[in-house]
Amino acid sequence: MFIDIKKISFKYKNAKIDTLKNINFGIEKGEILSILGESGGGKSTILRIIAGLETPSEGSLVIDNRILFDRNTFILPEKRGVGMVFQDYALFPHMTVEENIMFGLRNFSKKEKEIRVKEMLQLVNLQDFARRYPHELSGGQQQRVAIARALAPKPSVLLLDEPFSNLDAHLKSKIREELKVILNRTGMTAIFVTHDKEDVKSIADKVVVLENGIIADIGITSKILK
Amino acid sequence: MRFKNIRQKVNSWGILSFIFTLLVVLPCIFILLHLLDKPNENWYHIKNYLLKDYIIDTFKVVSFTGIFTMTIGITLAWLIAAYEFPFRKFFKWALILPLTIPPYIAAYTYNGIFNYTGIVQRFFREVIKITPDPKAFDIMSTKGAIFIFSAFLFPYVYMISRSFLEKQSAALIENARLLGRSSSSIFIRVILPISRGAIVGGTSLAILEVLNDFGVVSYFGVQTFTTAIFNAWFSMGDSSTAVKLASMLMFTVFLVLMSEKWMRGRKKYSYTTAKVRDIVPIKLKGIKAVGAFFYCLTILSIGFIIPLLQLISWSALTYKAILNIKLIGLTFNSIWLAAISAFFIIIISIVISNFCRMNSNWISKIFSKISILGYSIPGAVIAIGVILLMISIDRNMVWLYKAIDPNSKTLVLSTSIFMLTFAYIIRFLAIGYQSIESGFDKIGIRFFEASRTLGYGVTKSFFKVDLPMIKPALISGFALVFVDIVKELLLTLILRPFNFNTLATKTYEYAGDEKIHEAAIPALIIILVSMVVVYLLYEIGDKEKR
Repeated sequence: MFIDIKKISFKYKNAKIDTLKNINFGIEKGEILSILGESGGGKSTILRIIAGLETPSEGSLVIDNRILFDRNTFILPEKRGVGMVFQDYALFPHMTVEENIMFGLRNFSKKEKEIRVKEMLQLVNLQDFARRYPHELSGGQQQRVAIARALAPKPSVLLLDEPFSNLDAHLKSKIREELKVILNRTGMTAIFVTHDKEDVKSIADKVVVLENGIIADIGITSKILK
Repeated sequence: MRFKNIRQKVNSWGILSFIFTLLVVLPCIFILLHLLDKPNENWYHIKNYLLKDYIIDTFKVVSFTGIFTMTIGITLAWLIAAYEFPFRKFFKWALILPLTIPPYIAAYTYNGIFNYTGIVQRFFREVIKITPDPKAFDIMSTKGAIFIFSAFLFPYVYMISRSFLEKQSAALIENARLLGRSSSSIFIRVILPISRGAIVGGTSLAILEVLNDFGVVSYFGVQTFTTAIFNAWFSMGDSSTAVKLASMLMFTVFLVLMSEKWMRGRKKYSYTTAKVRDIVPIKLKGIKAVGAFFYCLTILSIGFIIPLLQLISWSALTYKAILNIKLIGLTFNSIWLAAISAFFIIIISIVISNFCRMNSNWISKIFSKISILGYSIPGAVIAIGVILLMISIDRNMVWLYKAIDPNSKTLVLSTSIFMLTFAYIIRFLAIGYQSIESGFDKIGIRFFEASRTLGYGVTKSFFKVDLPMIKPALISGFALVFVDIVKELLLTLILRPFNFNTLATKTYEYAGDEKIHEAAIPALIIILVSMVVVYLLYEIGDKEKR
């Protein structure tokens, strides 16, 4: 398995019950996995654990044969090489589109940076918007910038937190298609969280159904969501 | 597992936060240690003959100032928030201006207006040709102190209540209007209850200012705890008695804070819905509009226009003698001292609040509580704690001083400007901390997390992402602290190095030497600096709203 999650449990401070209980699943390289469930069911917490923004109470996490978390290890988020697209995008408001995308390219040379930013802008089809600030973009454009920013440093996996929840209904299917194209073109391994079965059907290879912090069902999308 | 968790949490931010909060607490600890000193004769003398007066005077000043600031503040807030009348927009911000005149300057000015040679009695003698009883105009009393505090501290209640009413009350007030309630009944049945938290919050700020004040009460000869502490320390040279009085003052402050908590009640009167409309003011007509206008004008005149005009006219009399290189030196002293202290306060505030927002646990809660502790501790208490601490450090460090410079004095820290800066930091850290904290609250943690997933550590993320985003909070925090330090009197007076003067101490000195006219120019500079800052903050606040 490219990503291997074993026996992860998680409890928020001051909470009485576990948000996540004994979570186990794996993903092969290049696969797109969706975590489906009601809001408040702990879906986003799984992404935050993979990104290193939360520390589980037990379990282990391995990506590409590298232990990111277990009993004795905790790799800091900045050292994980995991890209994340936040639900509200979290684009830095004081930086232009270009600067946002360039932000994660700290170990690139100046020339490499320019090339990579150009590639990314092309990938998300925003070549003409490089100098704009986030608040000058539409919701869909902001999301594409967020995706480009997360993909730019070539992460091993891309995490997307409710990627379609902030978009108008009539835009949804168009943006789904766009995301599918982007992910396919890059061959990226990706995990996305959603509460909408349609999202899963149109993009995901595999789905994990989460109910009250435990995995209720897991498998190939076409089999789980008939 | 345990070790892993600790390593994750302890970083340079945590260590620095710990050191800074420790520095803030140390002087308090020194006061507590000296509290156990054996009482001496002075203490018994004070306890038997004077303590009752201190308590009564302090209580009188605090409670009446509380009542008056509350009344003036909430009525103005209600008028401005709910009604439209001539010059309302002007009054809306102008009514903050009394805060730019430090109460001690107001005290000298009003004494100058009302004393035998002042404009009021001269008017009676020279224009109306009657000589009134000078006692009728004597404001150097407890009543005078209450007048000064109320006229110049009410903006605390006004500002907090007004912004609360504007933001929170639209639906409630409109409903009450639809239900056919009259204005006065809405005020009593709806406005007062819902704005209780804001009123109590503002009033307790004013009361803390009163307990902290030294300038007004010492000039008017009112015997409060602050003057008593000052006298015990300087007239009697008795630190142990001063410490005992200081701890009683601290206890009073504690009572004020507790009753604030209790009076705010359990209910939080704020909306849970995200969409809060601004209240739409009703247009007043005829006599009502004139009445509202004159009410605002009277308060503004007493709290700002009259003393300002008086100071300007005095400075016209004295500017030839005062405007010189010495005055520039004083201004320079005030400004660099305030700037350096404010700079340190902002740095410390950033470190602690950044640590606290990333680690919400009991340690960060304690750090954050301690950071805002200093503002409720009266200056006199902080001064004593800081002196005790610095002298004790000096005593233990003599060997080091001698090693560096064989001719060194034995008291180094406690005679340097460092001691004063340190005290400022303790006293005003709360102001810087709260504005930085609210700046962090506004941007949230998401941007920081995004930066972490893009490969930057805690510190790099802070400089690249958080710092540029909290810039407005940095500027307003710095400005607020800066202006408070320029105005500050008591700490500066007690802790300054020998022969070191600022605008505030010089104003106090002139006024104390019966040179009220000469005090006008340094006082005006202080007021001018405050006005500039108030204007800047008002602009920033307005911009953020838009």
